[in-house]
Amino acid sequence: MEVPRPVVEIARPRTFVDEVAVEPGGEKINECIQCGVCSGSCTTAEWWEYPPREIIAMIRAGMKKEVLSSTSAFYCVSCYLCTVRCPRNIKPANLIHAVETIAEREGYKPRTRTLPLYRTLRDSIKRGRIWELGMTMRYYLRTNIFSVLKNVPMALALFIHGRFPILPSKRVKGGREVEAIMKKVKAMGGAQ
Amino acid sequence: MRYYTYFPGCSMESTGLPVQLSVNEVCKSLGIELKELEDWTCCGCPGAAIDELGAVSIAARNLALAEKTGLDLVAACSCCYRNLLNAHLAVVEDPRMRVKVNEALASANLEYKGGVRVRNIIDVFINDIGLETIASKVQNKLNGLKIACWYGCHQTRPYGPDHFELPRWQDSIVESLGAETVYFPLKAQCCGGMQLVSEERVALKLVYKLLDNATNNGAQCIATTACPLCFTNLDANQGRVNNRFKTKFNVPILAITQIMGVAFGLKPKALGLDKNISSWTRVLAPYLQVLV
Repeated sequence: MEVPRPVVEIARPRTFVDEVAVEPGGEKINECIQCGVCSGSCTTAEWWEYPPREIIAMIRAGMKKEVLSSTSAFYCVSCYLCTVRCPRNIKPANLIHAVETIAEREGYKPRTRTLPLYRTLRDSIKRGRIWELGMTMRYYLRTNIFSVLKNVPMALALFIHGRFPILPSKRVKGGREVEAIMKKVKAMGGAQ
Repeated sequence: MRYYTYFPGCSMESTGLPVQLSVNEVCKSLGIELKELEDWTCCGCPGAAIDELGAVSIAARNLALAEKTGLDLVAACSCCYRNLLNAHLAVVEDPRMRVKVNEALASANLEYKGGVRVRNIIDVFINDIGLETIASKVQNKLNGLKIACWYGCHQTRPYGPDHFELPRWQDSIVESLGAETVYFPLKAQCCGGMQLVSEERVALKLVYKLLDNATNNGAQCIATTACPLCFTNLDANQGRVNNRFKTKFNVPILAITQIMGVAFGLKPKALGLDKNISSWTRVLAPYLQVLV
């Protein structure tokens, strides 16, 4: 079992790297040796403005605004290749999720549709189980309703094969418990 | 007969229906009894990237329910597997997280003590049932069928237990059915997951790479992991890939459990094969006694 480290009072002013380090997943940011294995492994690296290694360097340089308003972190597909390869075991994927969490919580608006998707998904959990059609429709209403047209053939194919129920999944008893838990987590101030 | 608590996950009721049907049938013939976790809810995976504590707490609710049954918790969906295991490890390994999660769970009068063993269904097939038993159930040997086994991410990453990047378990199952596995270096690459909804260009390129790599290596069909999201991304999106990359892919996509079912001589309809979008008849016809 990992023993929690004692909380050390930081003498210098609290900077962005400290904010990331208290977020779940961001704890080991100061142990990164900038080898770049994460960027080299990244499945979607070609789309990132700043690849994972660079994001870590920027966080440590205190470039909060640049990191949080960039779309880069939102291209993470959570494939965990970086995490299993990282020689320092800092779990870069979790670190990137921590960045996404802070961006969402502090109201940054990077030009990406993935953030609205995650928000929609998180809100859909409140029913207990996710109803995929309702969830996707809510997402398209939130972003661009016309882009739904592109996906009509696929949705239709799924529907014809009986895999896209039009009616919502039945509301389970646990839905109310999930709602209570989510409320409590929010009241606890997220993860801090 | 072996007994497990089963966590289906939301997608298994809709887009992943064919996978679910085949999992049920195959488990029945292998003497596995999957008892669905009562009152299960979402595993928490969807919000994981923007709210780790929330995701772990929601998953821990399911773990707390599973703990009461005293059986191993089995998930076929890779995302559910990773997220449940992630929540279990967070509670067991991080005392601060444990306190926070149980504080959140207290609002639903639950507590998770850390006593559940979370497992993937492939792990159960290999380590509890064993390849000899699987081979002994085979009615139609899949001789000559060339299959690319594709594992996706979360079945092996980041927690294993199979190899992270070049896993072998599905290959050994397929080989015990008499089929031939092809060289497939992208076998544990990502399909884009949920980004298929938000960032089409990113996800479709990943799907394209997978289809391209498998067909170039001579695969007649792809045996995917039993994850409904991985399965659907490949099964339902070949048309979109063809439009975008000017290709002509028509690769049969079958869940590993569907392939097993075919070899066990089960009816295609019971395995949900009629719900697959990619056409499989051409490739599987020689191995089926009845087509419908």
